[in-house]
Amino acid sequence: MKKGVSILAIFILLISCNNDYYEPVSYDNPQVSLNIPFGFPELNNSVKSNMPTKYGVELGEKLFQDKRLSADNSISCSSCHIQGNAFADNNVQAVGIENRLGLRNVPAIQNMMFLNFYNWDGNILQLENQPLVPIITHEEMGSSILEVIGKIKTDLMYRDLFRKAFGDETVTAERIYKSIAQYEYTLISANSKYDRVRRNEGEVFTENEAQGYQTFQQKCASCHSTELFTDESFRNIGFPVNPNTNEAGRGRVTGLPGDYMSFRVPSLRNVEYTAPYGSFGQFPTLRTVLDYFDKGVLDAANLDPVFKNNGNKIPLSEQEKTNLILFMKTLSDREFAKK
Amino acid sequence: MQNLKQYLLLSAFSLGIISCQNSDDNPVANNVTLEFNNTFKNTTIVLGDAASGTATTNISAEGQVHHFSELKYVISNIRLIKADGNEVPYKINDLDQGATVIDQSKPETLRYILSNIPAGEYRRIKFGLGVKRELNVLDQMRFPKFYATAGSNDTQMMWEWGAGYRFTKIEGFYGTDHKQMSIHTGSTIKGSEGNFTQGVDAYRDVSLDLPTHAIVDHKAPKITVKADFDKLLTGKINTIVLVTGTGSDGNATPNIHTANQMVKFVDNLGGNGSGDISGMFSVTGVEN
Repeated sequence: MKKGVSILAIFILLISCNNDYYEPVSYDNPQVSLNIPFGFPELNNSVKSNMPTKYGVELGEKLFQDKRLSADNSISCSSCHIQGNAFADNNVQAVGIENRLGLRNVPAIQNMMFLNFYNWDGNILQLENQPLVPIITHEEMGSSILEVIGKIKTDLMYRDLFRKAFGDETVTAERIYKSIAQYEYTLISANSKYDRVRRNEGEVFTENEAQGYQTFQQKCASCHSTELFTDESFRNIGFPVNPNTNEAGRGRVTGLPGDYMSFRVPSLRNVEYTAPYGSFGQFPTLRTVLDYFDKGVLDAANLDPVFKNNGNKIPLSEQEKTNLILFMKTLSDREFAKK
Repeated sequence: MQNLKQYLLLSAFSLGIISCQNSDDNPVANNVTLEFNNTFKNTTIVLGDAASGTATTNISAEGQVHHFSELKYVISNIRLIKADGNEVPYKINDLDQGATVIDQSKPETLRYILSNIPAGEYRRIKFGLGVKRELNVLDQMRFPKFYATAGSNDTQMMWEWGAGYRFTKIEGFYGTDHKQMSIHTGSTIKGSEGNFTQGVDAYRDVSLDLPTHAIVDHKAPKITVKADFDKLLTGKINTIVLVTGTGSDGNATPNIHTANQMVKFVDNLGGNGSGDISGMFSVTGVEN
């Protein structure tokens, strides 16, 4: 009998231990299964500590589209990061609240999980650290995180989503940053004509596209490499210089003279949808970019060797330009941009 | 005899009371006031706009005349070192309680009171120019007071794109034609330990000997810290020529043109952390 009691006691103890252990995952919020496209680079390390979950992504998307993130409730993240433009926009430079003009062109948000540097100058290394920047920047949303939390914390839909995503209704800065990043991680673009050709799904390049692809491999692929069409290096390629004295390219981040006016090689995926081009929208069309390369770029002490060793230019015939543009358009993912 | 005994007892008793009172006069802690005197060499700076007739002007070693219209910097991570070498940190991990923005246009900010410093004799002070890396993240939830002070419209000690604080903000004019100068410093360092890191840490740890020991007891001492902004251009480490323009050597109007130009100003103001641990700072007086 005594033995029975003590076994029972141990049993109860075990049950209560088990209960304690399982409590934190009592809410049902499964991880989102992500299709990692074939041949894409490794994930950014910080993804592993913030894997997208069903409700984390839902919450992040709601925040991404919420104009209350801006001081006067006039713009959301999605006001500048428009899906039809591969989450960029068509402005020359970013436009914030009260039509305030930003320093640079709005970058596309796509395939973020696979990147190691964010923004034109790569000043952000973890996507979770990015959402605060536009919220507080005067030329963007001009708000503060406590102001945002104050606006949304009594919203019943948010309370429900925070509970589903994180286990309780508390609205914190960290949860806001994490959920927005989770949503952005799910924005994967890998279903362009180029991808379908690569995957042998029955589509083929036209003759012009194929010739454009050939020229691309000869004259562009050393920088626009990998399946992301960027090697994520920072280069000064002699584009017209932004006259704003706040601009120094990656030089303002690293302090290295070699990084002066250097910018991250942009991905060419969905490039058809993201005009104008250049760090402050110097070029209205792809054609004008190619004309500029052909004509010759500005010299600089740290001009990239690709140009420096080739008379500061990438010579291109008119036919090559036409074909290159046709090839670049095969990188458009209509499904991703909801076209 | 009996009387005498009683008398002695009484005196002993009253002595006891007096000494008790004495020890009450010897508190275990008191305030220490830091007073910041921002100068060009030995002249306290008067701010002024481009054509000001009253602003204090200075001439750099390279012959560039200049004056300031705005002068602000962040002091944090304050530590007092006792005569025996023990270090007394002052709310070093709390920007709301232990950090301040010194603003030459607001006299009340030039005096910073450290409260409840343990009684004792102090021979050295250490503080940071700027905000140390682990706290430099614009965490409004954790430090709402400092965030509000730094971010307010007339202070602007925030660096949004770097998601950190500005450590120094100097606006002014140079040359006989009053060209604009605008020197902002702050950290751009990113990346966690053991992983890829990039950028520069513009925080500088400053360490200054006190010319006479500061004694904290029933009196609260005042330490006067001189910040000699002559060193901005004519520093112990760098002699800087201001250049206006958008080239990579441009360093005057661009508020921070490139981080490598910025570091020269940072080293002049706060030292380089190794050979020079005082930069533009010195302690000119201790009032006990």
